[in-house]
Amino acid sequence: MTSEKEHNHNHSHHHKHEDAHSHLPSDPELRVKAIETLLLEKGLIDSETLDELIDTYENKIGPQNGAKVVAKAWVDESYKKRLLEDATAAIRELSYQGRQGENMVVVENTPDIHNVVVCTLCSCYPWPVLGIPPTWYKSDEYRSRTVREPRKVLSEFGVNVDPKVKVKVWDSTAELRYLVLPMRPKGTEHLNENELAELVTRNSMIGTGLPENAK
Amino acid sequence: MSRLHDMGGRFGDGPIPIPRRRNNEIDNHEPTFKYDWHAKAWAITLAAGALGEWNLDISRHYRECLPPKDYMNYSYYEKWLAALTNLLVDKNLVSLEELKNVIDLVEKKGLNFEANKSEKLDKRAWLARDVQKTLGWGGPSIREINVSPIYKINEKVVTVKYSPNEDVNGGHTRLPSYVMGREGIIYSYNGSHVFPDKNAHAKGENPLPLYTVEFKASELWGVSAEDDNDSIYLDLWEPYLKK
Repeated sequence: MTSEKEHNHNHSHHHKHEDAHSHLPSDPELRVKAIETLLLEKGLIDSETLDELIDTYENKIGPQNGAKVVAKAWVDESYKKRLLEDATAAIRELSYQGRQGENMVVVENTPDIHNVVVCTLCSCYPWPVLGIPPTWYKSDEYRSRTVREPRKVLSEFGVNVDPKVKVKVWDSTAELRYLVLPMRPKGTEHLNENELAELVTRNSMIGTGLPENAK
Repeated sequence: MSRLHDMGGRFGDGPIPIPRRRNNEIDNHEPTFKYDWHAKAWAITLAAGALGEWNLDISRHYRECLPPKDYMNYSYYEKWLAALTNLLVDKNLVSLEELKNVIDLVEKKGLNFEANKSEKLDKRAWLARDVQKTLGWGGPSIREINVSPIYKINEKVVTVKYSPNEDVNGGHTRLPSYVMGREGIIYSYNGSHVFPDKNAHAKGENPLPLYTVEFKASELWGVSAEDDNDSIYLDLWEPYLKK
């Protein structure tokens, strides 16, 4: 038997840290406090930068951005064409760009195709249009099952895909980031772009949901 | 052999942990960060990454290299924090001694004390006024180099059978085990992108052609495929493929 500290790290290359992380306190809050304190003391991070980052993704960057992209594609055929041809450029037209969305791909749901996005290796997600991924997207359950039994996974989200519809699963294994363009709900002809954006849920842009119906 | 993070197709995981409201409707609006410490762990990882001592592929590989027991027991941001701690020590940004001292300090004082902030920021530190600009730039992985891709759209390819990292045994790769040795079709060509298998081990960017490859569900899962006509698409670098 080996003790916790001696366990085989299974590295072929040698690291110096010798499981530095194993010294951390068991309470995760204390772990964060320890690292934060140390990096602040050493001037390696600035607390204002942390606040700015958190505020940005809590309040400014999120699925409301992606919803505007989708709504615009629903009302503007030429924008939709640009979006499907060069998503990065088309999304930049709405000033959404940058970190974790440098190379965007938009995949379109049609009466014959339902798309769903996953990252089996980690948690790749299009930040500029959807923000930080929800917990379920990062869960082992979603990562392991979506590529093998997408229809069953989708049914857990209440999305029952007709057997005649082809399911396409996009496993984000590189730095391309995927956004699903859901189908515009029926009976929304009277709505304008802003009203349509209200119907676009986050999950509908991952493929695990559908847009809401007009009220 | 694969590592635990490479879990696509694995059996045994239960229902997706979907948050629901009281009326059982799916909650699309759970908070960005469930706890303050999640937000802090995330932001500190980004800010420490901005010091430039490692790249995205290295930080991914550090998370994957956590001992399997820790990988399975840690929640998402605990993995981030553990990998960050190992990186900080390995890259000499903090010493093990300093780390142990600060751990002693928080274990004695708890959460409610103010860090004794350095008066001068390290010149590599990410300034608050630069945050929006840096986020807007991001870190594109595409490189404008004159390499012609070997494979053409709609061409049949087979993925390599074994873990493809040629330099490091058990090294980083973005070819999941569930598609190794399987036949697919080139769906699109995406230009040349930084090759993680090299970049994660600080062996240079070595940009290489990146393709999106379509695999039939029946090719990956055989008779247990839900529907033979469903497809799974992966973004794969040229060395992961052969004719």
